Amino acid sequence: MAQTKVQRLPAEQLFQEEIDLLISAEKDPIPAGWKMSPRSVRTYICGGKVKGKIITPKYIGQERLVEIAIATLVTDRALLLIGEPGTAKSWLSEHLTAAINGDSTKVVQGTAGTTEEQIRYSWNYAMLIAQGPSLEAMLKSPIYRAMESGSIARVEELSRCASEVQDALISILSEKRISVPELGIEVPAQKGFSIIATSNTRDKGVNEMSAALKRRFNIVVLPAPSNLEAEIEIVRTRVSQLAQGLDLNAGLPAEEVVEKVCTIFRELRAGQTLDGKQKLKPPTGVLSTAEAISLLANSMALAGSFGNGSIADEDLAAGLQGAVVKDEEKDSTAWKEYLENIMRKRGSHWAGLYRACRELNQ
Amino acid sequence: MREDPVYFGIRHLSPAGAWHLRKLLDEIQPRLLLIEGPSDLNGLLPDLLHPETQPPLAILAYTQEIPVHSILYPFAAYSPEYQGILWAGEHGIESRFIDLPSEVFLALSQKRGKETDGEESSTAVYRELDRQAGGDGHETFWEHLLEHNPSFDAYRKGAASFGAQLRQETAGLDSDWPETVIREAYMRYEIEQAFSQGYQPNEIVVVTGSYHVEGLKSIDPMTEEERKSLPRVPTNSTLMPYSFYRLSSRSGYGAGNKAPAYYSLLWEELCGEQPGLAAESYLSRIAVWQRAHGTPVSSAEVIEAVRLAESLSKIRGWEIPALQDLRDAAITCLGHGEFAGIHLAVADTEIGTEIGTLPEGVSRTSIQEDFYRQLKELKLEKYRALSAQDLSLDLRENRTVKSQKAAFLDLERSFFLHRLRVLGVSLGALQPGTQENATWSEKWIVRWTPEAEIELVEAALSGDTILYAANFKLRERAEKASRIDEAASVIEDAFLCGMSSAANYATSALQGLAVEAASLEELALTAQHLSTILQYGNIRQVDSAPLKPVLEQIYFRSCLLLPGSCVCDNSAAKVILGAMERLNAAQLSNSFLDPESWLDALHQVAGRDDLNTHTSGYAAAILLERGQMDSQALAQEVHRRLSPGTPADLGSGWFEGLSMKNHYALIARQSLWQSLSDYLDSLDDEEFKRALVFLRRAFADFSSRERDEIAENLGEIWKINTQQVSEVINSPLTGEAKEMLEGLDDFDFDL
Repeated sequence: MAQTKVQRLPAEQLFQEEIDLLISAEKDPIPAGWKMSPRSVRTYICGGKVKGKIITPKYIGQERLVEIAIATLVTDRALLLIGEPGTAKSWLSEHLTAAINGDSTKVVQGTAGTTEEQIRYSWNYAMLIAQGPSLEAMLKSPIYRAMESGSIARVEELSRCASEVQDALISILSEKRISVPELGIEVPAQKGFSIIATSNTRDKGVNEMSAALKRRFNIVVLPAPSNLEAEIEIVRTRVSQLAQGLDLNAGLPAEEVVEKVCTIFRELRAGQTLDGKQKLKPPTGVLSTAEAISLLANSMALAGSFGNGSIADEDLAAGLQGAVVKDEEKDSTAWKEYLENIMRKRGSHWAGLYRACRELNQ
Repeated sequence: MREDPVYFGIRHLSPAGAWHLRKLLDEIQPRLLLIEGPSDLNGLLPDLLHPETQPPLAILAYTQEIPVHSILYPFAAYSPEYQGILWAGEHGIESRFIDLPSEVFLALSQKRGKETDGEESSTAVYRELDRQAGGDGHETFWEHLLEHNPSFDAYRKGAASFGAQLRQETAGLDSDWPETVIREAYMRYEIEQAFSQGYQPNEIVVVTGSYHVEGLKSIDPMTEEERKSLPRVPTNSTLMPYSFYRLSSRSGYGAGNKAPAYYSLLWEELCGEQPGLAAESYLSRIAVWQRAHGTPVSSAEVIEAVRLAESLSKIRGWEIPALQDLRDAAITCLGHGEFAGIHLAVADTEIGTEIGTLPEGVSRTSIQEDFYRQLKELKLEKYRALSAQDLSLDLRENRTVKSQKAAFLDLERSFFLHRLRVLGVSLGALQPGTQENATWSEKWIVRWTPEAEIELVEAALSGDTILYAANFKLRERAEKASRIDEAASVIEDAFLCGMSSAANYATSALQGLAVEAASLEELALTAQHLSTILQYGNIRQVDSAPLKPVLEQIYFRSCLLLPGSCVCDNSAAKVILGAMERLNAAQLSNSFLDPESWLDALHQVAGRDDLNTHTSGYAAAILLERGQMDSQALAQEVHRRLSPGTPADLGSGWFEGLSMKNHYALIARQSLWQSLSDYLDSLDDEEFKRALVFLRRAFADFSSRERDEIAENLGEIWKINTQQVSEVINSPLTGEAKEMLEGLDDFDFDL
């Protein structure tokens, strides 16, 4: 099949079965433009059982936050997901659109170079010059298309866009229509149209959003996983999903490995050990859950390609080194201190990892 | 088949319950209303009906003997019990409490050794509820199921089956179960009593927690014998104002208490026949609060919040948003995702600051009566508020007013507040005076809390009026005092309260104690207390003259004890220095204390070599300050103390003691520096090195400004530029000098 060659499938294709199952079992009223009822969306995201089959949880964390997000979209309001890097903002937004519209691909990626045209519409200039402005010569933005079809568009990393580009959303969100003066038309949004934007609180180079824009969003702040168990659960689920798609030729990381990585990440993130007894120096990086996931996937790739297929301490050490030490000077001291003061004293089952890490820091 | 009255199972503090109860009463028009509540406190019911009575209120019963156990029955306007009582009053029918008498309750709780809440206090029941209700907890479940249910039958059936179900799960397992059985048997007994008084079953409505309905239907009434064998303790009871804040902060008491202001919102809406508007009111109130406190919130945002709350509750399958939905919507739309942004507004909207009021003279203990009378007399009523207010008092006679009473208003207020302080009633907190020794001014922060009311009621055990109770407390303290400074603090409190008899009593207690041996520290503390009182003079209208001989006695004893007490190590010396300072201050402010004996003692301490050198130095400093040591004597003393052969730590200890009293007094004394300079001149190199070590230590805690001034003095003596000296003194040590000094330290200690 052609699909298997695709590097990363969109959520609605990855979880096609579950979505179909939920739609077929639907009992509650479905809002206009939606494929399933809000409650089914919640089941899709938070997991549950339908017709005796298990729906895997996509977001592990406070169910209430997911409910608020879904309820926001029911009321036609735009949703803004805020959080530190790696708190599953984009992940949640992708799955919300996948469940609600069966289409998570109407995405505008916010960058410093994003222009207003990418939010609204631009032109095929060859055609524009040859034929003059016409609907055919128009290149519609994902948001434009979402308005036409009454579905949900996603804007990733909204706060990385320049302020004037961000503010282009204001009129779209309050008027719920786009005017095209070149053609003398106005395109009203169909029922079901909304926007899910995500925004980072901690990255550098972020443009603060205007109050006017913030007012047009319902804001949900996604927290970092509240405890070690939750984080391990998230990492394990995601790593196994990733492994399926990537053909890594390696076994899934052992429970113990995941726990070690999560422990190290949580401790460095919080600046103290899990039992709260010892303070430590946090590195400059964010050390998000997402990084822990990619670290483990990376280690699996190392193990699969160059090792015996199961993650060895050396594979993990290389990944940890890269994840923790982002700024050579400051982070490497923090990392070395952690190795010597915490990890070395953790007893025998940490000894292998400690030795492997120290070798890299000689 | 026995007959049952009409039961109405409720959830305590439930607006919908209160509303449905009124509907039910309207429909049935009973002749008697029986309510779950302490049956010996029926006498308080008429007071609840007084037109000036404003809930929240609480019925408080407490044991007459120490330790005080108390039991509390809070009522809000939306309590079904309270509305039932009001309805009965409005329709001229009788209402009665039928639960165990408070005296039995308190006896039972004394036996178990814990406080009761007057309600099935067991948290186990509510944990069970939480478990059954699922993720949202039982509060939200109750709210959805019952509070938003406009159908009377649905409420009644829902509450009843909920109670029955819960009962099934916990029956026999709960640690409170035996008590529950006793209570229900008692209530049944009261119901039977009503039957025997000629009331027909259908003429009686029984209002009780839904948990008890099943029990009342099946249990056998308590026999007369059983009833007589119940344990009892003597109790008092009173009606007291309560606050929403306290309602919300009590754990374990039934449901619906976490957000009293929100529940009263629900109640108002039910009364206005507009159920379901609470969402709008709640969110608008938060918006209004935010605006009033400087955060702009638009109506559009409130509208969005309402819509979000509605769709949130729909996801869970409910029609009307519950508090949880409203709060989440407020956080998302009004707080922009952050609870921190709106938490004050939420607290205000959910909990609120309301306090109940009782009309004057209504079922109060006599001490409460006295409290409110004095509050009015002293024009302090506006301070009876939940927010803290400042009160500045000028204790002197106000000569611009006519009446004697008005002239000493502030003094009387001070007495009043001090008496409450002595009783442990937390109404006012005395702030430390801003003006040193200003005996005529006091600053208080006054804040009234329902706790203060409870403390006041507890104080009733000590006496019937505030004055009597305070007197009793002070006497008790005086009797218990085992150290003279404790007795002295009682005397001081008695003076602050303007109570001469207590003062006299404590004074004789103190005299009794003073015969016993006491340490210098205790004596000095006592002298300080007494001296403070004497400084007030007659401003507090208490004759302090009897204290003079006592103080004199203490003072002489201290003078005699001082030299002996100075044989001590350095840590004890700190205590002695404090005592010396207090005694000196006491002597200076009370001229009737003969200075000679004090100065004699100081001279002794200053001159003797066998005492702790800190104390000797300090004594010298006091003498110096009082002009009792001339330059010549000081110069001699400096030489003697710092002479070769004296161990460095002793020398420096003396100088430290000398400098501890008053840096400025030392600095200003040119002769000291002259003699220090002379001393240094007289030393040979080896001796100089030794002296350097301890002088350096002695000057360590002088500030750089003070060092500047020393430099000025020395510069003058050495006839060199002041600035150069100062520079040298203040500059940090060079490495070489440091090394040299460290070398000296070694050298010194090797000796």
